[in-house]
Amino acid sequence: MRTNYRVNSGVRFQMLSQDQLEEMFNGVLHVLETIGLDVHHDEARDILRDAGARVEGKRVRIPQHVVKRCLATAPRSFTIYARDGNPAHDIHIGPGRAHFGPGPTPPNFIDVETLERRLFVKDDARIVAAIVDALPNIDFCESLGTISDVPPDLAASYEFATMFPNTSKPIVAWSYGWDDSADIHKIAVAEAGGQEAFEKRPNYIHYCEPLSPLVSTFEAVDKLIFAARHGVPVVFTTCALAGGTAPVTAAGVIVQTTAESFLGLVLSQTIRPGLPFFMGGVLSVMDMNAMILSYGAPELCLMMAGATEMAHYVGLPLWQTGGCTDSKSLDEQAALEGSLSCFFSALTGGDLCHDVGYTESGMTGSIFQTVMMDEAIGYSRRITRGIEVNEETLAADVIHNVGPDGHYLYEEHTMRHFKTEFWYPNLCDRHNFEEWEETGRKTMRQRVIERTREILGSHKPSAVKPETVEAISSIMKAAEDRVKNKD
Amino acid sequence: MSELLEKIAAGIIAGNLNEVPDLVQNALDEGMGPSKILENGLVVGMNEVGKRFKLGSMFVPEVLRSARTMHAGQELLRPLLAEAGADLGGKIVLGTVQGDLHDIGKNLVGMMCEGAGFEVIDLGFNLEPEKFIEAIKTHQPSIVGMSALLTTTMRAMGHTIKAMEEAGLRDKIKVMVGGAPVDAEFAKRIGADGYGHNAASGAETAKKLAGRS
Repeated sequence: MRTNYRVNSGVRFQMLSQDQLEEMFNGVLHVLETIGLDVHHDEARDILRDAGARVEGKRVRIPQHVVKRCLATAPRSFTIYARDGNPAHDIHIGPGRAHFGPGPTPPNFIDVETLERRLFVKDDARIVAAIVDALPNIDFCESLGTISDVPPDLAASYEFATMFPNTSKPIVAWSYGWDDSADIHKIAVAEAGGQEAFEKRPNYIHYCEPLSPLVSTFEAVDKLIFAARHGVPVVFTTCALAGGTAPVTAAGVIVQTTAESFLGLVLSQTIRPGLPFFMGGVLSVMDMNAMILSYGAPELCLMMAGATEMAHYVGLPLWQTGGCTDSKSLDEQAALEGSLSCFFSALTGGDLCHDVGYTESGMTGSIFQTVMMDEAIGYSRRITRGIEVNEETLAADVIHNVGPDGHYLYEEHTMRHFKTEFWYPNLCDRHNFEEWEETGRKTMRQRVIERTREILGSHKPSAVKPETVEAISSIMKAAEDRVKNKD
Repeated sequence: MSELLEKIAAGIIAGNLNEVPDLVQNALDEGMGPSKILENGLVVGMNEVGKRFKLGSMFVPEVLRSARTMHAGQELLRPLLAEAGADLGGKIVLGTVQGDLHDIGKNLVGMMCEGAGFEVIDLGFNLEPEKFIEAIKTHQPSIVGMSALLTTTMRAMGHTIKAMEEAGLRDKIKVMVGGAPVDAEFAKRIGADGYGHNAASGAETAKKLAGRS
């Protein structure tokens, strides 16, 4: 029997020390208690006041004992369920589990047929959902766009109504406010078989985005209240521009955005203690020349790693960011920036890594980028799986049997492990020059486009229940009437 | 196709080394002709293996297991086919050339060639040209295969071919070459008859040189 023997069952990565994290956490508590945030929602301020916050006008200051009480009720481990009961599509949130998916709401999309950049339309949501459903390393779904060819107030409702039947992977839903949040929730509940069944097996997550610096908008908070009242797991994430809407330094960005997220934490845990809550953000630099929030900057990887460690330090899952790029095209820059942030995100074990498929600094969604990143995530996951060390893997007897000048190709040991020990690419080409030439000298870009179209032509996502199909059409009809009546 | 032949083909695909020779023996006992067993059983299985390997649904260790199973089945048929005046695949002499100790690639080619029906005589590695000459005289193969991994040792392939010419043996055999630094142009320059860019294509080249495909 071995004693005092420690096993790393994966690659270890830790950037900040416990001392540094404690210092940053105290910075967060200090911001919340002394500076506070502006909350543009009367009811939310009342709820926060009742929870122990000090409210003056719009400003809400939260004492640390209130924050700590809410951290204690928010779970670190829970499951988001596939709508069709397929356990392979369930998402188990917990330590050491990194998941990936696209992001919400860019205005533009790269057309899968013409390859042109144009406005995002409803059918793109179907395309993204179906491809996400098929990709082995993409775990959750977002649409990569804002639907432009429906009434503007119904963009989010149509997005969810279109994606939901086309993937059974959990969706992270985005919406404008209460009404479309309700449309979305009704669809999910119809499939789950009622509100009670939904609460036992939640099948989607809701996404709310407050503002930096230190503002919770009416919509962000209203959506959070909706989600909390209906038992919907929730993401409360800011999108901070270092040097613009947040301090220029990474530690300062993390402190401020964590404080912004914690406002949502306190509100959600006060309304429904135990509601699954994801701390956010997209933290990156404001490029001081191009004036964009950079989705391809190394600082994005660093800040997101720091935020992940902060979230895990306080016992919360994190809404990570990666697989995105500032490039306008499916090119070497897109591969480089996207792959590195996917790998770094995988190393941190950040819980839901979104924006896989964002290009042009978040202005254009590209499912081709998502498909290319599926390969980068598979690659990253093989590395983070690490090296297993035991009698079987040390292979002393196999080395003995083969001996000098033998080979391992006939060994049972090789047969047993070659499929799981090695990662096999779907897109990266490993053939020799002649074979590559024979098969048409295809570049990565060409292979990505081909695979995307191939999946689209062949993959059949599992269907929703017939009653859900009916529910969707009546919910969307009612939504159309609601918008019509508004005008 | 009879059920037994189907089983033999499936056994080749699955690489059931313990079952296939027995199945072949059963077929012979039932009075089935050896060439029928070969063509409609073993070869059918191995062709499917080749297809799946190309598609990427079978991998090298699995192909080798199938090749080894194929070889075991063929060994039962070889003497019977010879009696009937049929040639299973011919003989190949294989080796890694002088100065080079690398032989995993050459071994792979040998295994693949056995799976393709050839009788393979593996001479080993670091072979002086004389070793090849001697082996040609002793075994009288139809094909000689040479392998090298290093750019410094690949030249020894040319020297070996020269030695074969000087010994008056070059016309009696076909020469195929392979190895990481070797390409079709080099093969042509040193006067080889064929070249394979990997083990599977080496076996294909051997079949072509033997006039079998």
